[in-house]
Amino acid sequence: MTARPQDAALRRGRRAARLRRAVTGWGFVSPFTILFAVFMAGPVLISLAMSFTDMRSADVRDPLGVNFVGLDQYAKVFGDPLFLKASGNTAFFVLVGVPLTMAAGLAVALGLNSGLTRFKTVFRVGYYLPVVTSIVAVSVVWRFLLQPDTGLVNGLLGLVGVDGPNWLDDENLSLPSLVVMAAWRNLGFQMVIFLAGLQAIPANLYEAARLDGASRRQQFRHVTLPMLRPTMLFVAVITTISYLQFFEESYVMTQGGPLNSTLSVSFHVFKQFGFGNYGYASAMSYVLFVAIVALSLLWFRLLKRKDQ
Amino acid sequence: MRGWTRPVAALGLATALLAVAACGRDAEGAQDEGPGTAVSDGPATGEINIWAMGAEGEKLSALVDGFTKDNPGATVKVTPIPWDGAHDKISTAIAGGETPDVALIGTTWMGEFARTGGLDPTPENLIKPADFYPGAWDTTVVNGTSYGVPWYVETRLFYVNSDVARKAGVDTPPSSWEELKAAITAMQDKGGADWGVSLQPGKTGSWQSVLPFVWQNGGAIQRDDGSFAFDTPEATAALEYYKSFFTEKLSPADLPQGALEPDFVKGKIGSFISGPWHIGILKEQGFEGKYEVWNMPTKVSGTSFVGGGDLAVFKDAKNRDGAWKFVSYLSRPDVQATWFQTIGDLPAVKSAWEDPALKADPMLAAFGTQLNDAKSPPTIATWDQIAAGFDDLMEQLVKTDMTAAEMAKSAQEQATSIGTGG
Amino acid sequence: MSAVTTVDSPAKRRPRDRVAKLVLHAVLAVGLLVMVGPFLWMLLSSFKSEGEIREVPPTWWPRRLTIGNYADLFDRLDFPAYFTNSVVVATAVTAGNLVLCSAAGYALAKMRFPGRGTLLGLVLGTVMVPGMVTFVPLFVLVSKMGLTNTFAGLILPFLVGAFGVFFMRQFIQSIPDELIESARIDGAGEVRIFWRIILPLCRPALATLGILTFLGSWNNFLWPLVIATTEDKYTLPVALALYSVGQNETDYGLLLAGSVVVVVPVLVVFILLQRHFVRGIATTGLK
Repeated sequence: MTARPQDAALRRGRRAARLRRAVTGWGFVSPFTILFAVFMAGPVLISLAMSFTDMRSADVRDPLGVNFVGLDQYAKVFGDPLFLKASGNTAFFVLVGVPLTMAAGLAVALGLNSGLTRFKTVFRVGYYLPVVTSIVAVSVVWRFLLQPDTGLVNGLLGLVGVDGPNWLDDENLSLPSLVVMAAWRNLGFQMVIFLAGLQAIPANLYEAARLDGASRRQQFRHVTLPMLRPTMLFVAVITTISYLQFFEESYVMTQGGPLNSTLSVSFHVFKQFGFGNYGYASAMSYVLFVAIVALSLLWFRLLKRKDQ
Repeated sequence: MRGWTRPVAALGLATALLAVAACGRDAEGAQDEGPGTAVSDGPATGEINIWAMGAEGEKLSALVDGFTKDNPGATVKVTPIPWDGAHDKISTAIAGGETPDVALIGTTWMGEFARTGGLDPTPENLIKPADFYPGAWDTTVVNGTSYGVPWYVETRLFYVNSDVARKAGVDTPPSSWEELKAAITAMQDKGGADWGVSLQPGKTGSWQSVLPFVWQNGGAIQRDDGSFAFDTPEATAALEYYKSFFTEKLSPADLPQGALEPDFVKGKIGSFISGPWHIGILKEQGFEGKYEVWNMPTKVSGTSFVGGGDLAVFKDAKNRDGAWKFVSYLSRPDVQATWFQTIGDLPAVKSAWEDPALKADPMLAAFGTQLNDAKSPPTIATWDQIAAGFDDLMEQLVKTDMTAAEMAKSAQEQATSIGTGG
Repeated sequence: MSAVTTVDSPAKRRPRDRVAKLVLHAVLAVGLLVMVGPFLWMLLSSFKSEGEIREVPPTWWPRRLTIGNYADLFDRLDFPAYFTNSVVVATAVTAGNLVLCSAAGYALAKMRFPGRGTLLGLVLGTVMVPGMVTFVPLFVLVSKMGLTNTFAGLILPFLVGAFGVFFMRQFIQSIPDELIESARIDGAGEVRIFWRIILPLCRPALATLGILTFLGSWNNFLWPLVIATTEDKYTLPVALALYSVGQNETDYGLLLAGSVVVVVPVLVVFILLQRHFVRGIATTGLK
């Protein structure tokens, strides 16, 4: 019958513990949170407000002197044929590009992580080089590779008797060409993250699996893949986010052409900001944001750890 | 996942509050500010800050000594900024009220920046519009008020491979549309070129090659009442003419990027339209003296496009009078001629072309002649957007079976729906 | 070194392994060529004349080696000053991200405290907002704070990143709770646990985040361009853009030489940090 005072003490203790947890928790996050609130959340809120106005670049000296137009800009987005075209292009880019880049990045990371005994640094640096190489230099070389008459790609195709097309100036091939280029450019980034993730898998798990008689393939399926889930989730989300916003490739390679076949939503937004249509460009950005959130949620659903 | 809903709700609330705080526009609309207040007499004093892009920014200091000799109380600080991103830098500077006193401004940006209210109207007691090429001066005039002065100009001509032209029997520059077509056909048929000409098949900036033909045919971008005139018979006929070079296979429609100059040097491409910077590019390719330039052919007129850079003083300038005095100094004919010798920029001031260095060179003289008949697009805030839409349509005109009339109609609708931005 | 190979039984697999290893090396080497090619072209072409760079089809090996582009570059730019600015900014931004994001990431991954879900949601939401949309508001904000043309203005907005927190949280989440629990039972405080247990275990993630942050900050162009209003605050990419891209033409020689110059420090950082990718839990922790 001494339970009651004990309970009270326990509850007090629990409350104190909860308070302590709150204090330590916020202690850890507050430096981040303050900077985050000022320099990130603040501008996000302002830009969101901008998307409900008719603000143009001519209004920058008097940003409060604009008209509140409600959802007009958003309505305009969905009536904009270029936006719809760009959405289709972007969807293709993401649906093909994300799996392609992830598969390539993971393959290279696994290759570099297993069995490779020599020149590890050379390989790692080499595969990362496209990430750091200037996009302009990259575009010059890729244009050379894809040149219809003198390009290396069509040269190789010619060897097997195929008459190579004009990759970048064909409405149907320009976008796939850019997808391959993007995968090439980004797989080094993914490789680096996958390598970090692979290193986080405790060696004793493999040991245990091996003792159970698991083959390499089984080890991969039952140890590597499940343990890599948080990393995969991260890579999938980040890549989806960045591919939904792709535009550098079309900016330097095709300027969105031919006939807008490589115009992406982000490129369209970029142009609208350039034209000074701040309100409209902001609204379009937030439409893109909703798409990003939706796809990321999908990834969370698909890749969330079963035990959570 | 529960964490998602609350922040979203918070964002929504904050937005609603901000939206209410936005107060709405004053019904000012298009305003004619009138000329700027007079600048004080006497030499300039104090520090004058100027932003200039690229090579102009790098070399401008060379002209400063001449200015400070006459204005010992003044110092000029030049900050070079890259062309790449210059538009963003200037517009954010205006937004933040963090401008210098003067900046070099691309001619097609004037309409947009003037409408922010961030530029100071040109004072009449210091600058005389008649000194400048009219097409260049027009780039500074927004809604009837001038907001700067032209600093340097460029205009577009035909670059022609002399060898190909000789083989084709084209001795003199064609003077009409028919002669131009005939000359280009001859360069392809007899001159040994794969393509008689390379005209821009749409894509960024193609309007600069197309609009001269519209102007030559007596067409315009805007009517006097301010409405657009893309669908006039004059404009439609010019588009038709431009398209014919593609349908008659006289110009490539999908030339890979970077192939123009090498193909021109090899004689595979007989001619192309471009500005004075190609003199330098062709020199680097070792092609100096092996090509010639043609002025634009004449239909109703022989008009070309004029671009370049203007100098503008900002409303937020800390040293307004000094800034205008420096701008006025840069517009002096002798300083303009010196500037040409320093960097190769063509003078915007007409009398500067009397300088022997400019007069003696026949290549440059052709540019000088063309500048007397060269136009710029209207200084409306939405021009970049209208031009980009026009470029898109040009690509369709050239690459698909779209007709000139359809293109003219679409361009008209597009421009009208975009409007002039106030 | 790696987990998979060390646990293979050497006796059983040796002959097949050797073949597999050879094949693996060959495949990776071919891939390497494809990856490195453009970089090599950039490097070689920076030693060519402008005319040769523009040639179609392009050449690989320069017909006449020239250091003219580099001479031009260093002659026209106050290189040490811009380099120093870039190093200061990128180092500060990287250090800030590593410390602040891992601290926040740890709390978000392993602690329960009120507001945690909201904060996490906001962070994730911010990662997903397209970057361009906040550019103008951020500039106006920073200039109203009087930070234009200061190092604070160049550094503070990037001192933490939503991406970094997300990344660190994901990584720390995969560290077994038992490690932290047992340390707590031993009486270690949270700061001590973070410093002595979490951070060492996070070395591969920190190296990765370090490289990515450094690269992002080092290459950042538009922000330093608008924030620096005088030349003495320019960073390297801004300065390099000054003379290579003109109003109507591009000087490819300067551009490529500049690209090589700007990439070298990033490569050095990468080569220094990449060895940490393989020293994580696999070799140090979790006996």
